[in-house]
Amino acid sequence: MKSKGFNAVMLACLWVVLAFMYIPIIAIIGMSFNATPYGMFPYVFTTDWYETLFTTSNLLPACWYSLKFAFAVTLAAVVIGTMTAFGLQAYAPKWANRFHFVLQLPIIIPWLVTGISLLLLFSFLGSGRSVLSMFLGNLIVVLPYVVLLVNGRFLSMDRTPEAAARLLGARPARVFFDITLPAIAPGVLAGGIMAMIMCFNNFVVQYYLIPIGVQTLPTLVFTRIRSGYQADLNALSAIIVLVSVVVVILLSKLGFSAGGLFGMSSGTQSKKGE
Amino acid sequence: MNNRQKKNIQPTALWTAPSIVMLLCLTVIPLLMLLVFSFMNHNIFAGQPWPGWTFDNITRMVQSDTFWRLLGKSLLIAGVVTLICILAAYPAAWAIAKVVKPQNRSIFMMVVILPFFTSQLLLIYAMMNLLQSGGLLLTMLEALGIQAETLLYTNKATVLVLTYEYLPYMILCLYSSLEGIGDNLIQASLTLGASKWKTFTNIVFPMSVPGLLSGILLVFVPVAGSFMEPGLVGGANGAMVGSMIDTQYSGSLNMGYGAALSCTLLIVLSIIMGLTRLATARAQRSIGGDME
Repeated sequence: MKSKGFNAVMLACLWVVLAFMYIPIIAIIGMSFNATPYGMFPYVFTTDWYETLFTTSNLLPACWYSLKFAFAVTLAAVVIGTMTAFGLQAYAPKWANRFHFVLQLPIIIPWLVTGISLLLLFSFLGSGRSVLSMFLGNLIVVLPYVVLLVNGRFLSMDRTPEAAARLLGARPARVFFDITLPAIAPGVLAGGIMAMIMCFNNFVVQYYLIPIGVQTLPTLVFTRIRSGYQADLNALSAIIVLVSVVVVILLSKLGFSAGGLFGMSSGTQSKKGE
Repeated sequence: MNNRQKKNIQPTALWTAPSIVMLLCLTVIPLLMLLVFSFMNHNIFAGQPWPGWTFDNITRMVQSDTFWRLLGKSLLIAGVVTLICILAAYPAAWAIAKVVKPQNRSIFMMVVILPFFTSQLLLIYAMMNLLQSGGLLLTMLEALGIQAETLLYTNKATVLVLTYEYLPYMILCLYSSLEGIGDNLIQASLTLGASKWKTFTNIVFPMSVPGLLSGILLVFVPVAGSFMEPGLVGGANGAMVGSMIDTQYSGSLNMGYGAALSCTLLIVLSIIMGLTRLATARAQRSIGGDME
């Protein structure tokens, strides 16, 4: 290892970065319990904002709508994504690479361009901004993440039990549901959680495809934060941060490695290097 | 030969059909439409049946000073944000990968990715609250006797907010590269008499290049195409190229022109991404060569 002094400096940098990342979040949580609007002082403890959030605020209906919407998208993404990852195992490496290139397009292309190109497509087809357009738009944005996560599970699993079951005369459907699916379940679950989170939070695609009269949480938050301080939004943020903590812990228990997802190009290339 | 290959892979590979259809219909075709509509004059939202062909959008774009200025500004902002992210993320990723006890690494990584799981809008909102006049930061500075103007509604605020949003991606990418460097390799280099600086430039840095470049890709591209951050915190002079494209759709409904602008943005970004890929490949080769 390098010298102690150097490592201490690196560690200090890490803490500074973490402070930068967390001070705004902690401040929001603090403000959600503070009766004094706008600033922090004088700090008077209250849970009024939570009461507002759960009674009169329009954030809660939008939040429920977003949850239902994200769940529907997730369901579709998980089914199609798992099918895709399963089928992908039968591809020749050359075609698998080509498939991965197209699969990564929705991740790489800025959401702004995805959003307006889909708006063009749906306007051309005549459906324009609609819940179905929004559904399909979000589906294509989250699908690659599900495929990548389930595919990762396939690559690391042992395929011999499936072959054994086939040799012993099990039908393909039975092999899939009794052996393959339980083995890839953690990947499917991680993909589902990932899809749910991304869809729940995705603002840009929803912004372009949402029909008039429907509000998802991100589009509502966007219109509201333009006017600055929002007491009930602080309360909702605090709850969302709490839920995120639970989700992150859950994902790490499923053996999800975020590095494997976002450092994917580096991951595959370093394998080649070795 | 194609036929035989098809026969070999057919039964299971068919399961990918739904997503192939979806990727074609919802990604490839819309992108092609973007290109085609750059050369069309009518507005599809106005219900005209079949727009005619025209080069007006292209000439208008080429002559538009605003577009080129905003494109340059967006690339500059993306470059600055990427640079800040690298400078902040490198030591942090190094600390998690090499300094922190191995059993604590996953906890630190969880802490780093947590903000990614809360919505970007909430992160922007949290930063806005911190920065605004009367917010925590200015109140604290005032208590210390420092008079400061709020950063909010300036281009600096845009850079700050974008850095805040995308820093976790860079840490993730760098971490996954740095973690792969064996301690014994560094140890060997130091024992054999290489200075710390030489160990860094000859071993640590080259081996972190793949992670660094995928981090650059994941930060630079979305930042260059961002439009909600400048709209929310950038103030009157905050517009980036994304804001201009957005206005063509949410404001003035200038579909063909907007398509031409996004195509140009996408082409410029693709060239930058292609160069980045090329650099990765080269870096990879040079590491391989060094190790042999």
